[in-house]
Amino acid sequence: MIKNLLIALLILAGFQLLGSCSGCSESKKSDKNALTLPDSLITDAPLKLSEEIMNEVIGNISSPVEMANLFKTSGVDFTQRILNNPDNVSRYETSFKRALNLGVFSADLGYINTFDKNNIVVSYLLAVKTLADGIRVGQFFDFNALRRMASSSTNLDSLMEMSVTSFNRMDSYLREQNRSNVSTLIVTGAWIEGLYIASSVVRESGNKDLSIRIAEQKDIINILEIILSNYAAEPNFADLVADIRELKEAYAPIRITRELGEPQRIEKDGVLIFIQDEISTVHYSEETLNNIMDIIEKIRTKIVA
Amino acid sequence: MKKIILSLILVFTLGTVTCWSQCDDSVKKSALQEMGDSQYIKDFSISLVKKPNEVKTGMVRFNVLLNSRNHYRFNVVNGPANPEEVIMQLYDQDRLLVSNLESGKMYKAFDFVCRTTKVYQLVFSFRGGEEGCAEAVLSLVRQYSDGEMGF
Repeated sequence: MIKNLLIALLILAGFQLLGSCSGCSESKKSDKNALTLPDSLITDAPLKLSEEIMNEVIGNISSPVEMANLFKTSGVDFTQRILNNPDNVSRYETSFKRALNLGVFSADLGYINTFDKNNIVVSYLLAVKTLADGIRVGQFFDFNALRRMASSSTNLDSLMEMSVTSFNRMDSYLREQNRSNVSTLIVTGAWIEGLYIASSVVRESGNKDLSIRIAEQKDIINILEIILSNYAAEPNFADLVADIRELKEAYAPIRITRELGEPQRIEKDGVLIFIQDEISTVHYSEETLNNIMDIIEKIRTKIVA
Repeated sequence: MKKIILSLILVFTLGTVTCWSQCDDSVKKSALQEMGDSQYIKDFSISLVKKPNEVKTGMVRFNVLLNSRNHYRFNVVNGPANPEEVIMQLYDQDRLLVSNLESGKMYKAFDFVCRTTKVYQLVFSFRGGEEGCAEAVLSLVRQYSDGEMGF
């Protein structure tokens, strides 16, 4: 009896241990082949911003979903010429350039998905996949599944969701692997490209919502500058930080005021809706906005070159 | 022999506790389904386990950047083995803005109409400091234009 019980427990414990290991080790696994930027970029230099906040905020600084929706509602037609050209991918031979342009193409992909341009989406997916492979994070992009989705216009929402999920997983993985520097570059590339597309739309249409969105990035550029400065010992990063600082200067005249209103809570269809009581207003002149857009264009040109 | 059996029971029990706290993919799929028609932005995996010498679990916090004039949805799905439901709260620094536990009623989701672009804190905990896992999704319901924000 005891012998049978012992065998049964041994089997159960064995399965349990196997299960525990398979469930817990995945995220901790270190990829010895992962391409990392030079050690100089991941020194123990004191961070000027909490590591926790930095790591989390960076992940959603440039959500392509939010920006892409604004493009669509602007009423301006889709223009492929403002996007980066997938043929440029072969030019990006350093991990620095690949990471930045991975961000650029992710923003382009968001723009393309929003306008349901499934005829060109595959070439942009391929660009993303190639660049991701180049910095050893290609495993997060199931190119074949994404391509199948792209082939049907009814799947474009799912495609967007799958692309964003892939980027989120890649971002978490990079941070777990102490490669936040790479993650920061991807986010910076996506952020600049989003603002570059927004600037192009504003120049064509004068769209107010997109103008405000560009102007209210004043707070975000401060965060980005602090994060990038942590890696400024490396010349490429130093150059990028200098560009971001120039952009920050251009943002200086913008004023963001905040006033408190009445908070509102509504229950609708079983969902609690909270309308925030703090209301911010962005004050800017056309001249300031034009200057900002010029500098964004200049930085973007350098990134995709 | 008894000691061996007791040790194995212990290994089995501890293993169960450790893995029970990890939600499997089906929970995330449910959270994505319950998101409805809004557009996926980001998901959050929550797993709270008591550390040795701890009577209760604490909370887990995520910093999220939310943009003005955007209507967001935060929905959460509990792990099937959770003894208690997950509490999801949105803070602006130390100020609680909204929670899925409101006047004793538990909601699966709450919406947040953001009027100031900044970094907010999304905090998860379990009632009674119990252990558990959950998956939450942040999605975009709609974007308001400048003139629509008067309410």
